[in-house]
Amino acid sequence: MNLLYATLGLIGLYIYVSFASLLWEGLDRKLVARMQRRIGPPLLQPFYDFLKLVSKESIIPRHAGRMFELAPVFALAVSIALLAYTPFGFAPLFNTRGDVIVFIYLLTLIAFIRVLGAVNSGSPYAQIGAQREIIILVSREVPMMLGLFAILWRLSKLGVSKPFSLGTFYEHNIWEIGTPLTFMGAVILLFVFLAWLASEIEVGYFNIPEAEEEIAEGPMAEYSGRHLALFKLSNALKEFISASLVVAIFFPWGISGVLGLTGAGAVVADLLFHTLKVYAVLFVSMSVFRAITGRLRITQAVQVFWLRMLPAAVIGVLLILIDLMEVIA
Amino acid sequence: MNSRIEYWVKIPIGPIHPALEEPEKFIITLDGERIINVDVKLGYNLRGLEWIAMRRNYIQLMYLAERICGICSFSHNHTYTRAVEEMAGIEVPERAEYIRVIVGELERIHSHLLNLGVIGHAIGYDTVLHLSWLARERVMDILEAIGGNRVNYAMNTIGGVRRDIEEKHRRAILDMIAYYKNEIMPKIEEIFLYDPTVEARLRDAGVIPKRIAIEYSAQGPTARGSGVKKDVRYNERLGVYPDLGVKPVTPKEFTGVIKGDVFDRMVVRVGELWQSMELIERAFDQMPGGKIKAFAKDNLILPKLKKADGEGIGRYEAPRGEVIHYVRANPGKDIPSKWKAREPTFPNLFAVARALVGEQLADVPVAIASIDPCLSCTDRVAVVDARTGKRGILTEKDLLRASIEKTREINPEVSARPEVVGVSCPRGDLL
Repeated sequence: MNLLYATLGLIGLYIYVSFASLLWEGLDRKLVARMQRRIGPPLLQPFYDFLKLVSKESIIPRHAGRMFELAPVFALAVSIALLAYTPFGFAPLFNTRGDVIVFIYLLTLIAFIRVLGAVNSGSPYAQIGAQREIIILVSREVPMMLGLFAILWRLSKLGVSKPFSLGTFYEHNIWEIGTPLTFMGAVILLFVFLAWLASEIEVGYFNIPEAEEEIAEGPMAEYSGRHLALFKLSNALKEFISASLVVAIFFPWGISGVLGLTGAGAVVADLLFHTLKVYAVLFVSMSVFRAITGRLRITQAVQVFWLRMLPAAVIGVLLILIDLMEVIA
Repeated sequence: MNSRIEYWVKIPIGPIHPALEEPEKFIITLDGERIINVDVKLGYNLRGLEWIAMRRNYIQLMYLAERICGICSFSHNHTYTRAVEEMAGIEVPERAEYIRVIVGELERIHSHLLNLGVIGHAIGYDTVLHLSWLARERVMDILEAIGGNRVNYAMNTIGGVRRDIEEKHRRAILDMIAYYKNEIMPKIEEIFLYDPTVEARLRDAGVIPKRIAIEYSAQGPTARGSGVKKDVRYNERLGVYPDLGVKPVTPKEFTGVIKGDVFDRMVVRVGELWQSMELIERAFDQMPGGKIKAFAKDNLILPKLKKADGEGIGRYEAPRGEVIHYVRANPGKDIPSKWKAREPTFPNLFAVARALVGEQLADVPVAIASIDPCLSCTDRVAVVDARTGKRGILTEKDLLRASIEKTREINPEVSARPEVVGVSCPRGDLL
């Protein structure tokens, strides 16, 4: 019975998050257009795009492999599975001890599936896009994982029911420790996470794998019609999910307690409030970032992660660690 | 070497590609992200202009020359009229020369603003594109007010200009210059001289050393960005430009170093925006009154040109570099026996193709955009053998070989050894 409710909840979440994430795409395009003194597309343009793409025929290149057609389906399936492990203002649906590993695994898997589809498309642009995707993937995950595990480990010391699960953030958060060193460490890690988020959704500096002017959308070069629609949807879901992680770590507060709601009302209120927070984080990390920066070279982007973000994450983690060990009073 | 060949990938940039504004083709051999070889193929935008020109008279040719290219419409028109004027020995009134300077510099402002935006787009910095093109609207409006059109303003005529610049135009232009100087130029300088993203992407990308720039005869901002002090307005003492104190702009005056990369080319363009505005202001101060045409009536032009004999060469510094038009008279007829244009993109394209070898794939769009290529200017040569009816398009390889042979013939002591880049266009055989 419990499983049935969880499954129904997952379907509900899938419908809601698809809607919210596509709506964000429209908002983002409109906001960036305004920053660039343009009028921009209608707010619902991503929905129109999606519906139109679904109804169009999909052109399969002659040299494409089997994975070319399967990759979009897998990518969307993994995105939906990921919804069950994502905190949306409340603990994830399938919240267990150590589910953070599943979360990171699934999030990385989406990128791998994109790469598989691109390599199988037989297009040289897609090949280069796939190379770039993998290079940036291995650079960006290290500082993110370091920060995430350090924060979860620190919170588990406060006594939580399921250590190393993403539900932890709704029992304790990093700010309530309150000491200056932890606070500084958390602020540094917040910056690392915002940079990670920008590279996860490939905007601004990190719009390298899909660089339109260089390799014509890279991994997406050969996709069209239904397959492209599925990729678009799974990308939108991934954006929302990645931002949800940042929101859950750093801004986990709910609104239901303030409003005095309980039961289903609390869940809905928290979900809506969480959506607003996700939009705010995406506004900083996506809209503003992509309006005020251009694309780096792949070597420069790798240097940003290994020479800037990784040391920053190490310093943030060390600050939290030093605070816990009470070496400095 | 052989063991690495299997990792090489050939990717085509063009003829249709998001990075290119016009059809051209670069076949790029890549080792990972590093460029091993660049192969340029031209001829996708051939419209047979010289063939069309064979049945147009001198006046009609002026409008054909204007339509060679959408951006430097004034430059081609201006250069063509200069060539015809030299051929027929027509004296242009001084006021007309000043008006030509003003319109030419307005065109340079709009072309450079366009290219700055395109560079922003090439590095994915779309805000630069949208805002600089928004700023460009102002100068387009001015050009429309003067010439009646945003693009083809048809200002020139043989022996002068067709429209005078009146007091209301002068006020509007000075307003525009004040607007650019106070509001736009500080922002442009902030982006192209100091912005970290722009510096990270443009510095050391597509480096054309001075030696390569000279050997490949790079033109305009591409040459000046590499430190070659080459500007027809200055070197050839063109028209009234010496009175206005024109000097070639090099990046040394702004950043203190000359590297010959994309950044330097953009610095030259920013410097030339300042220079153009100052030239327009000075031209207004010095502009004398009087006639604007050498001929009182336009129908006197053709009879005069019918009597002309000889040839004329017009040179002008278009926004992208030096344009040369060559006209040979056909005595007794109102159609020239030969009209030929050489535009700056042709030498620049091979200089930049050479510069790309050894750099990253990410630099390709920005390096190509940095010479502001104009392919509709470049693709003009088709050769038809009248006896056999066989057609072929002469492309870079043939033309380069022919020009190298000609140079050797004229001056056997020339020391430069340009390489032949690329192969001829496959479409030549298909036609």
